[in-house]
Amino acid sequence: MSIHKNIKAVFFLLAVVLMGSIAQAQQAIPQQRFDAANSLYQQSKFTDAAAAYQQLIDEGFELKPLYYNAGNAYYKAGKTGEAVYNYEKALQLAPGDETIKHNLALANQKVSGYVDELPLVFFQQWWQQLQLLHKPNGWAAGCIVLFWLVIAGIMLNRFLPGWKNKFLRWGNYALGTLFALYLIMAIDTYAVANDHQSGIIIQGNTKVKSAPDDNSKDAFEVQEGMKVHISDATKDFCKISLADGKTGWVSCGLIKRL
Amino acid sequence: MKDRFNIKKYIFSILCCLGLVVCASAQELRFTTSVSSSAVTVDEPFQIQFMLENGTNIASFTPPSFKDFEVLQGPSQMQGQSIFNGRRSEYFALNYVLQPKHVGSFTIPGAQARVNGNVIKSNPVLIEVRKGNAQAQTPQPSQQQAIPQHRSQGGNGLSEDVSDGVLKKGEDIQEKLRKNIFLKVEVDKTNLYEGDQLTATYKLYTRLPTNSSVTKVPAFKGFSAKDIELPNPPQATEERINGVPFKVFTIRKTLLFPLQSGTLELDPVEVDNQVRLVKLVSNKRSRGGKDPFEEFFNDPAFKDPFFDDFFNRPEVEYQDVPYKIQSNPIKINVKSLPVDGRPSSFNGAVGHFKMTATVDKKSLSTDDALTLKINISGQGNVNLLNSPKVDIPSGFEKYDPKVTDDIEKNSNPLTGSRQFEYVLMPQEAGQHTIPAIEFSYFDPVANSYKTLRSEPFVIDITQGKRIRQDKHDFGVGKNELVKIDGGIYKWTQNRQWLIVSPWFYVLLLLPLLIAAALIYYKHRKDYNTTNAALLKHRYANKVALKRLELAARYLKEGKDKAFYEETSRAVWGYLSHKLKIPFADLSKQLIQDKLAARHINGTNTSDLFELIDNCEVALYAPGSGNDRMQGTYSKAVIIITNLEDALKN
Repeated sequence: MSIHKNIKAVFFLLAVVLMGSIAQAQQAIPQQRFDAANSLYQQSKFTDAAAAYQQLIDEGFELKPLYYNAGNAYYKAGKTGEAVYNYEKALQLAPGDETIKHNLALANQKVSGYVDELPLVFFQQWWQQLQLLHKPNGWAAGCIVLFWLVIAGIMLNRFLPGWKNKFLRWGNYALGTLFALYLIMAIDTYAVANDHQSGIIIQGNTKVKSAPDDNSKDAFEVQEGMKVHISDATKDFCKISLADGKTGWVSCGLIKRL
Repeated sequence: MKDRFNIKKYIFSILCCLGLVVCASAQELRFTTSVSSSAVTVDEPFQIQFMLENGTNIASFTPPSFKDFEVLQGPSQMQGQSIFNGRRSEYFALNYVLQPKHVGSFTIPGAQARVNGNVIKSNPVLIEVRKGNAQAQTPQPSQQQAIPQHRSQGGNGLSEDVSDGVLKKGEDIQEKLRKNIFLKVEVDKTNLYEGDQLTATYKLYTRLPTNSSVTKVPAFKGFSAKDIELPNPPQATEERINGVPFKVFTIRKTLLFPLQSGTLELDPVEVDNQVRLVKLVSNKRSRGGKDPFEEFFNDPAFKDPFFDDFFNRPEVEYQDVPYKIQSNPIKINVKSLPVDGRPSSFNGAVGHFKMTATVDKKSLSTDDALTLKINISGQGNVNLLNSPKVDIPSGFEKYDPKVTDDIEKNSNPLTGSRQFEYVLMPQEAGQHTIPAIEFSYFDPVANSYKTLRSEPFVIDITQGKRIRQDKHDFGVGKNELVKIDGGIYKWTQNRQWLIVSPWFYVLLLLPLLIAAALIYYKHRKDYNTTNAALLKHRYANKVALKRLELAARYLKEGKDKAFYEETSRAVWGYLSHKLKIPFADLSKQLIQDKLAARHINGTNTSDLFELIDNCEVALYAPGSGNDRMQGTYSKAVIIITNLEDALKN
């Protein structure tokens, strides 16, 4: 009886280990899950595909194609709000990607009352282009490398009288300037990526209140998929402002922050 | 007498029949525009009708644009056959109710139709729009073109009981007319719910032979109206009022559905009558209480030359009297529908309805299309039904429904069905559920709301053969989604921000620390070296004096070589320490330079060099006396002391 029990226990353990390893294997190969979701999309099972992408996103994978495909799946499944959200996320990872912009524009066409945001001024565009030169961590890494070089240059200049010349000095100035630029870029990219001051309305026909209170009167209505700027927030309510200047309060649960 | 009359009647009917046949064979195509009123005020609606008679093979029918008018109702189509004045015709007509927007005279161009391959146009109509003055509206009887179905031809078949067209002597014409011709409006209810049905019947009561035409039809503001087709030509019925028999012609019978609550008014109808009265001339032969020919006075056959000849008797005289009458306006009290218990799916339907909802297939592929039919049938405002709300799941593309009506002709209350046909294109494979379709209506009989619900539909959708290949095309108007990315990527979870990780700061601090350490080390080293030189500098005097003390001992013992050696070492050592020159680098020239740099010149320097020379000479050429040694010693002491003083400041 006890042997029987033991065998049972062993089997149970084995099963648990096996299951665990399978689960781990599944966790370990997101690429396969991504491909599976893609094939679901190809079979026109958009809702299922969107759920599969969303699972990967929820696990913390941040990848432009993942957000982009999720956006497509949500779009096809008719969930405009989620589609816009995912396209915006993809665009954050790859600003200026024409494909994402195109699909985002399509999704925005479904949002009635959508107002185009103002285009960036040329120097803002340059700044954005410049930011694309490196990945955010690339700027930070460059920052470290340049700092080492600057310090090394200063040391050479100071301790080795034979190295003392104006070329080294000017080189040091240049390196120092570059270091400052990289540091600013690293900080700025971080700030931009972690700026959660905008969001997407994910529920259709949301009533916007004139004050952060359920009983206050409705100011206007926003459509699912509308991009809003969050300028203030209480515990439950967020103050939103639209691209066309309208402001009002909305329950924070209806906004998915970018 | 009686027999003869019967024969006449036969002859008359045969003639009538003949006439009818002749007319029917001579059917001609007619395309006319008619308006209910050609002179209207600004806010007075009027009706316009484009009627195509005897047209077969109508390929198209294009109404003109009403740019200066607002279309209140219409277009409503009419189609059918009519027998009008004994003429049989087939007609097809479009009706609009228009309201002028501005004052002025406007020409509404005719409608265009293509019949048997020929394009024909109806006549344009001139409409004169006067300034609005709702109370002082005076209809214009002239130019009236009565719409055929509304025209009643009085006197056509009045039986002898009613024929009272003989004006007796001394009788007041107006009084007689007022008594014998009047209009009456009958409504089946005056208190009802919004959307409920109301039947209004406009009737003309007459006892006189008249030729009447309707000059003003009610507009039914605030109602949706549906006319019941009346027999054409109008059939008279008989009704007794206070024991007096009247011929009754129904001018208009309309089903009305109030569109708003409150007190609404049914506009009056106006009728122009031409009453033919018969006067008996005094010198006629005396007649009995009842003249057997009198019945014929009311007959149209009266005008027939054959009868004219026959009956044209001198003692009879006719008089045509125009007489205009108007019905009384009627007030209707419309209650708004109760708010309590109103279902969310309520959409304005009032009456008693049934609903069926069907889908044509339960399983299909994404290449295929699905049809969802919702049929609502019953009694009530069928013509005003809105589509029930259909929640189509997101996996389908929904198009606007096709609406087909099947309303029973001349049913009262209005009975029929309306069908909404949705075409759904599946976008997504899988199993989808179309939720139950809900339809609510208000039942005025039960005084409550009722809700009908269909079963939900479960639809299986398989992937079709056609896999849509979205193209990369950013052209304007290309509304296709760009396809998904399917490459192989590096999957990193939760992107780490280097800038907020401690490593970033450690790596930034590290070179600073290294540099600081280097600087500290160098500083320490420099300090140490400079410190040693300083000490030597400070204690140079003492070292030199110690050496000279040793030299003094050698002097006493008479060891001249050792004495000179020690003295020379004392002087050189002193100079080396004091001037911070390494021992190996010492030379007379360097010392002279250094001293000159410190502005120490004159005797001190020359004495110093003399002393050094002496020592050297004594070292390499020994044998000098003790005095000289004593002198050298004291000189060395003096020079070092002097130099010490000179170098101090």
